[in-house]
Amino acid sequence: MPAIIETKNLTKRYGPLLAVDSLSLSVERGAIYGFVGPNGAGKTTTMRMMTTLLQPTSGEAWIAGASVTRDPRGVRRAIGYMPDFFGVYDDMKVWEYLDFFAACYEVPEAARPALINDLLELVDLNHRRDAMVDTLSRGMKQRLCLARTLAHDPQILILDEPASGLDPRARIEIRELLLELSRLGKTIFFSTHILADVAEICTQVGIVEAGKLVAQGSLDEMQRRLAPHRRLHVTLLGKVEEAQQVLAGHAGVLAVKRQEMSAASDGQPEPPAVLDVDFSGDDQEVSQLLQDLMSHGSPVLHFTESVHDLEDVFMQATKGIVS
Amino acid sequence: MSTLTTQPPAGPAPAPARRGPRRRGLFASNPVVIKELRGRMRGPRAFIVLTVYLLLMSTFVTLLYVVYVASTNNVYSGTNAQLIGKFVFGAVVGIELLLVCFIAPAFTAGAISGERERQTYDLLRTTLLPARSLVLGKLASALSYILLLLVAAFPLQSLAFLLGGVAPEEVLIATGLLVATAFLFGASGIFFSSLMRRTLGSTVLTYAFALMATLGLPLILVALVPLGSLFFNNTPPGPAAETVLFYAFGVLVAINPIATAVATEFLLINQQSAFYFTVPLSNGATLPFISPWLPFMIFCFVMGCIMTIISILAVRRAER
Repeated sequence: MPAIIETKNLTKRYGPLLAVDSLSLSVERGAIYGFVGPNGAGKTTTMRMMTTLLQPTSGEAWIAGASVTRDPRGVRRAIGYMPDFFGVYDDMKVWEYLDFFAACYEVPEAARPALINDLLELVDLNHRRDAMVDTLSRGMKQRLCLARTLAHDPQILILDEPASGLDPRARIEIRELLLELSRLGKTIFFSTHILADVAEICTQVGIVEAGKLVAQGSLDEMQRRLAPHRRLHVTLLGKVEEAQQVLAGHAGVLAVKRQEMSAASDGQPEPPAVLDVDFSGDDQEVSQLLQDLMSHGSPVLHFTESVHDLEDVFMQATKGIVS
Repeated sequence: MSTLTTQPPAGPAPAPARRGPRRRGLFASNPVVIKELRGRMRGPRAFIVLTVYLLLMSTFVTLLYVVYVASTNNVYSGTNAQLIGKFVFGAVVGIELLLVCFIAPAFTAGAISGERERQTYDLLRTTLLPARSLVLGKLASALSYILLLLVAAFPLQSLAFLLGGVAPEEVLIATGLLVATAFLFGASGIFFSSLMRRTLGSTVLTYAFALMATLGLPLILVALVPLGSLFFNNTPPGPAAETVLFYAFGVLVAINPIATAVATEFLLINQQSAFYFTVPLSNGATLPFISPWLPFMIFCFVMGCIMTIISILAVRRAER
């Protein structure tokens, strides 16, 4: 897959402060790329350089083959950019707002009415077509801004915190919209600090901290790299010590630990015990482990693997430093 | 509503997408102009502003007329009617001049910095809209509204024709002066607003510039006259020094709208000349001069263009 966004040693220095430090990333065509990092990590600065708004101190970025320093118009043609603020005019109607930006993107006038209809349809704002922009709710404004970024049918959307400040419903709507746009063939590059959004829709993730890209890859890759062992949970109805011995003797088992349980109250049967097993091995070996347990007669009730979620990955990758 | 902007060409779009604008000229195809004018003329506000403006102007002219008539004894002699005509005309142009000096900056001082404050500046700069279209669009839409105000006051100016005493060239020159002044001060507003981050700073600088150009320079001029006579009290200057002084004075007059208007009118009355005149020197020779309205208009044009070009360059430059 060819990279549609590529940065090479992209650097931005403000005096002594290194806001972005030799950042090299690449985004595949058609990807939904989550650009994750704590506040002040340099996400917005990176995006402003990618959108030609900010001159890099050194390094280079190519968007859809166009260099941000040498061919800014080529870049602008290829991208739709949504900053982390709304940027709406208060004295405009919804359709006029889209008409204005379509005109700025050199969409011919005759094509605009149909385009505006389609865009409003897509973001579900057709019923507010003639409303003044400043009467819209936050979520509606955000959807309108998203519609604006699509006015010139760009290949790439660069969105800075598209879900920030929205209520849960509006956030889910934006998320659905991003998935829909991805299905339409757009490459989406967005920054966020809401990890749940990333885990649910991203195909690629880049983690940035203090101006540096500390990890990049698909979600699975990241999990494998940053959390190298798997954690299994075995729930037993009894014979806990025996099972512990079996597990400890098994190849690939790194540690076995019994979860603390509240003591059984009077008259209640003893609650099942849960063992946490740190294990390195592939799926075959996990299956073998279960078979061994069974052959030793352990009364296994549950056998599950906990999925390392992105928060674990994020906490492992970042150290909590902010430039 | 969708055909509000300009007439779309009949049939399919003439050019392939991506090459839309720049065909129908700067004005009609510039999205900034369309957006600004839509905003400015929306709702009852534009109508009310225009009405109040004309009411105030008419009241003022009527008052002037009444006062002037009351202060002269026989109204119905021809010469008096002509004087009243001249007076009314001069008053209307004077008010319009002041208006232009203070309205043109108000319309443009927030043009670019306002986009920054509304956080729409970044959005515009990631579109394909050239810096030139943004700056010129802002300037053109502000000037077109000022032009509307000027045109709306034409009937009041023409009252002078009923009374006589005003020549067509006076009307033309006065209109030219007003438009040139509007251009200069409008461009200065754009200039400061493209350089300053905040509209407040831009407004302060723009009005400082306008005040300097309209009131500051005449004050300096007035201060120079007694200073000069003091300086040359004992020894009258030679013809060379005199020539330099007269021309320097002429230049000072020609970069100030009020001085230019007064001097031009004075020359029209006393030398019956709209284009050139002569000044006698103490040694009997005469110095040729161009009537100040001409250099003033050239000054406004050149200065306004320079400011506009600098603004375009400032907007075009990527942030560092």
